[in-house]
Amino acid sequence: MSASASSKISVRGLRKSFGSNEVLKGLDVEIAEGEVVCVIGPSGSGKSTFLRCLNKLDDITAGTVVVDGFDLTDKTVNLNEVRQHIGMVFQHFNLFPHMSVLQNIMLAPVELKRGSKADARATALTLLDRVGLSDKADARPAQLSGGQKQRVAIARSLAVNPDIMLFDEATSALDPEMVGEVLQVIRDLAAEGMTMVVVTHEMGFAREVADRVIFMADGLVVEEGTPAELFGNPQHQRTQDFLSKVL
Amino acid sequence: MALAGGFVGVTAAAASSPSTEVSGETYIIGTDTTFAPFEYREDGELTGIDMDLVRDIAASQGFTVEIQSLGFDAALQALQSNQVDGVIAGMSITDERELIFDFSDPYFDSGVQMAVAEANTEITAYADLAGETVVAKRGSEGETFANSIKDEYGFTVKALADSATMYDDVKAGNSVAVFDDYPVLAYGINQNNGLKSVTEKEQGSSYGFAVNKGQNPELLAAFNAGLAELEASGAYQDILDTYLDAPAASSDTSFFGLLSDSAPALMKGLGLTLLATALSILIALVLGVLFGFFTVSESRILRGIATTYVSIFRGTPLLVQAFFFYFGLPQLTGQPIDVLAAGVLTLSLNAGAYMTEIVRGGIQSVDAGQTEAGRSLGLGYVTTMRRVVLPQAVKIMTPSFINQFVMTLKDTSLLAVIGFAELTYQGQQIYAANFRTGETLLIVAAIYFIVINLLTMLSNKLDKRFNK
Ligand SMILES: Nc1ncnc2c1ncn2[C@@H]1O[C@H](COP(=O)(O)OP(=O)(O)OP(=O)(O)O)[C@@H](O)[C@H]1O
Ligand SMILES: [Mg+2]
Repeated sequence: MSASASSKISVRGLRKSFGSNEVLKGLDVEIAEGEVVCVIGPSGSGKSTFLRCLNKLDDITAGTVVVDGFDLTDKTVNLNEVRQHIGMVFQHFNLFPHMSVLQNIMLAPVELKRGSKADARATALTLLDRVGLSDKADARPAQLSGGQKQRVAIARSLAVNPDIMLFDEATSALDPEMVGEVLQVIRDLAAEGMTMVVVTHEMGFAREVADRVIFMADGLVVEEGTPAELFGNPQHQRTQDFLSKVL
Repeated sequence: MALAGGFVGVTAAAASSPSTEVSGETYIIGTDTTFAPFEYREDGELTGIDMDLVRDIAASQGFTVEIQSLGFDAALQALQSNQVDGVIAGMSITDERELIFDFSDPYFDSGVQMAVAEANTEITAYADLAGETVVAKRGSEGETFANSIKDEYGFTVKALADSATMYDDVKAGNSVAVFDDYPVLAYGINQNNGLKSVTEKEQGSSYGFAVNKGQNPELLAAFNAGLAELEASGAYQDILDTYLDAPAASSDTSFFGLLSDSAPALMKGLGLTLLATALSILIALVLGVLFGFFTVSESRILRGIATTYVSIFRGTPLLVQAFFFYFGLPQLTGQPIDVLAAGVLTLSLNAGAYMTEIVRGGIQSVDAGQTEAGRSLGLGYVTTMRRVVLPQAVKIMTPSFINQFVMTLKDTSLLAVIGFAELTYQGQQIYAANFRTGETLLIVAAIYFIVINLLTMLSNKLDKRFNK
């Protein structure tokens, strides 16, 4: 727990290779409590891999990652415990198709013995209400639209009461008319002061909710700053090229 | 290898008569499946000259016999591997066999005879066989004799495994004549097997009871003593007359007569088929789940173990595996193995390999994102498997499980070759005695068909019910 006390997430010299292919080439990122950081960059630049190193879904090749005071490279750290502090939302939702919406949300609290089943159910219903899906409690994932699925996935992550939320292109698999409803849920979380790392290609959204934007390319952080700085006055050629294509 | 071994050897020296040595002992005697009139089944019971002889001798000498009807080759292999204590199977005493077995006094003088189809008027002597094919039983006197004259008369000899098949071969016209031991031939002709004998019997060899070389001398002595007693009392001649002079073909010859006569034996066989299937599939399920998890584990060693297991059992024929577990393993370990145990061992290890692949395929077909979602919620590997991956994998695997279940049920029929008395074996026994091969096999096939389809329907119903 060597990272600076104010950092919720502290990444130092993070490297990640798949076989001989080095995908992350030494990242240094500090994220403060309550901060909303958006990560942008071209496809294949390592955004997802970076995010997956923050809850160790991918192994860390070198460097240190300290999250919520837990050093993830320390082999004695209980990853299952750490992950309860970090919610993750995936591009393709990854809802459990054999369970109802309510069961999806209740699974982790019940299995992790967070209070009684009745408590878990009450919490799940509250979360469903919060994402506007109270009427879908008994539906199966297959009966939901993409936007509804993603809102259930967010509720499922929130059910273990995390301090940090990671979003990996949460809206890129959605039809355009459903993007708004999911972004609204993320916006609300930001307003409540949740620490969040959001990988996104929604530049407008990044500009609106981010405290800071990180631009990644080729496994490195090329540039970072406030949305106004990064979008208004990008310093690097690569950032400018990228933004000129997506904006 | 007497079952109640112990201090037999110690008492042997003191014993004055061989009968005291064997009295109270139980000996396992191997025999052929299909060598009427020496051994065959009637209403499911083993009967015939050999059976009556060995049982009467056992009774007169005060020991007990447990007969195992294995088939001729299998019985000899079982004797060599000490799976059985003795073999009585209408076996000729030959110099070759005397090298590896000890024989009793001869109990029957046989001789080879030639027979042709009833309607055949062209073949009446060996000289008429020029350019033709004849059939004989593999490894038998008939084969030896046919081979000894084939060059002189210019015919070809084909070897088959049992009498009923040989007779069918001649009736079907694939061979013009059969060379078989005269008592067997005489019995078959009396049972209306569609053949007739056209030559005199050749001077032949004598049949003897055999034990493994140097093993069970007291059993051999008791057999000789008992045989002498039966010959002296006239009981021996009575037995021969029963089978050779007056073989009564009294049973119902209609299809439904065959059906009702064979039903008890076939149902017993079906019971054993289902028992072997159920035991094998249960063990295979455990093996499949265990090794299936090995194949998806992160440990290279566990993956290696599972891969080796699967490739061995998928890469060798089931029949070879069955022979290995029943005949080979006892020779290697010195421990005899029960035929049901050997059969279940074979089928469960074999099906387990396929189950392993089914389990691996099922687990791997569940999207990796499911595991990631579970793990990212803080659930452990086991919980994620149990609550997230397996419920989805089982649903995918169920049709393959049902398929494997049916395959294993059908594979039990292969165990007939090691003498496991399941459905196919019972069918073979029946047509070996009544020579109604086609009808009997139709009945056997129909039983398999009905049972398999009923079980498949039931399984699919359960699948629908639980895997919605
Ligand atoms: N499991 C893996 N095995 C091997 N290579 C991988 C694996 N996952 C990612 N990579 C490689 O790492 C690189 C970075 O991938 P990553 O998914 O992190 O990029 P990204 O920035 O998220 O791209 P996108 O915007 O397309 O999602 C790519 O070249 C990819 O091929
Ligand atoms: Mg990505």
